Amino acid sequence: MFFLETPPDTSQYMVAGYAIAFGVMLIYIVSIFIRSRNLNRDMSMLEEMDKDK
Amino acid sequence: MAEQTITTPRHPAKSNYWKAIAAIAWKDLAAELRSRELLSAMLVFSLLVILIFNFALELDIKTRQSVTAGVLWSTFAFAGTLGLNRSMAIEKDRGCLDGLLLAPVDRSAIYFGKVISNLAFMLIVEAIVLPIYSVLYNINLFQPGLLMVILLGSIGYTTVGTLLASMAVQTRTRDVMLPILLFPVVVPILIAAVKASGGYLTDAPMTDILPWLNLLIAYDVIFTAIAFMVFDYVVEE
Amino acid sequence: MQKKPTTLLALDIISIILLGVSTYLALIFAPTEAVMGQVQRVFYFHVATAWVGMLGFIAAGISGIAYLRSGDLKWDRVEMAAVEISLVFFFIAIVLGAIWARPVWNTWWTWDPRLTTAAITELIYIAYFMLRQGIEDPDRRARFGAVYTLIGAVSVPITFMAIRLFRTIHPVVIGTESAEAQGGFNMTSDMKVAFFFALFAFTVIFVDLFWNRIRMGTLADKVEQLKLKVMQ
Repeated sequence: MFFLETPPDTSQYMVAGYAIAFGVMLIYIVSIFIRSRNLNRDMSMLEEMDKDK
Repeated sequence: MAEQTITTPRHPAKSNYWKAIAAIAWKDLAAELRSRELLSAMLVFSLLVILIFNFALELDIKTRQSVTAGVLWSTFAFAGTLGLNRSMAIEKDRGCLDGLLLAPVDRSAIYFGKVISNLAFMLIVEAIVLPIYSVLYNINLFQPGLLMVILLGSIGYTTVGTLLASMAVQTRTRDVMLPILLFPVVVPILIAAVKASGGYLTDAPMTDILPWLNLLIAYDVIFTAIAFMVFDYVVEE
Repeated sequence: MQKKPTTLLALDIISIILLGVSTYLALIFAPTEAVMGQVQRVFYFHVATAWVGMLGFIAAGISGIAYLRSGDLKWDRVEMAAVEISLVFFFIAIVLGAIWARPVWNTWWTWDPRLTTAAITELIYIAYFMLRQGIEDPDRRARFGAVYTLIGAVSVPITFMAIRLFRTIHPVVIGTESAEAQGGFNMTSDMKVAFFFALFAFTVIFVDLFWNRIRMGTLADKVEQLKLKVMQ
């Protein structure tokens, strides 16, 4: 009552937390994207080879 | 190395099933009695593990009481994988598995036969380790409660272990695969067995120990049922 | 694999929007907690990602059983997608849990039953992928994957109960006060908005990722089959 207690400054941890959350999600989404793109490339290449047979 | 044959039955299916289980279990036990390679490996390994723990953990008189349960079960868990690995590898390498699969008997009989032999090996090793540990550390380990916990824990461990070993042995990485597959899944047994064993060793009241015993029994029952239902899929060709 | 179905495209966009809104609610709209400060905001995503992990876990278990009963490889693709997503999101949840624990309890790891079980589940998932890696035959790979998923799915709840029982008998005292006293906080109604919206948003995100990942799995299988055909 004599003085206002401010909550401790833990914002560094908050930033780290959100950075990791977004970072990992982003990495995962990008990995799906890259893997799909590689698969599509393989697919068209294989279809070419199949046509040639 | 005699190739095993299971004679075509003229008896009703039920008794044939039990006969098959007994035959498979006995095949392993008899072979082991002759060569003793599996048991000696498991035994020596267990003693070495206990030796390492002695230096790793400073087992002075006070700490001994509290860590004995943990040391014992760590030892059993590690030695257990040795036994399971060898047991299934022998099966695969000698081609016995294919022979067994051709037999006109429910596949689960093979599974239960293997579990019984694996369990027997584990229990034999435990039976030798216990008195040695008792002597080395001056603790009486021959309490009925503790022995029961060791039995229940070993049953759960070999039930899941035999199933996973059957899978592991069919992969490229074989031996390494089993502990990786087994340990995360066998955690409840290890927790419950250590707590229950510790309880018996420190004369804890039955109300403390009972929940852990229940957990062990529940785990054993559940996973025996699951293994029974699922073993077919593991040995299909 | 041809063009993405428009429904999926729409879902992608909706998911991104929902993620944005949820972030706003968690970072700005929700009030700052009095005792812990800003780090408490991590809680909203911590629970939401753990929730996604749980959804994946359940989906994996169900797909495993479905594959064993039907033999249809589509269930194997669903199972792999579920395990992969659950692996990623439980990882985020565990790390956020540690980040939350550090300033509040002065320790990175609290051996809390839920987090410990999540960590063990991660190990099971890793074992799952290693198992699959070591098998050539696609049918056997799928069968073994399904069997191990089933064993894992049954063992994890039992593990959770065992650890919880372990903790109630031996509560771990962290720092000078018990974990319960320091870690708890009451949610104001604004916080509840952020909390429940995060759960909702991440459920939609899960469905979106799941669908995308299953599509990728189907494409991968087609490539495998075509590869075998062409290489003959």
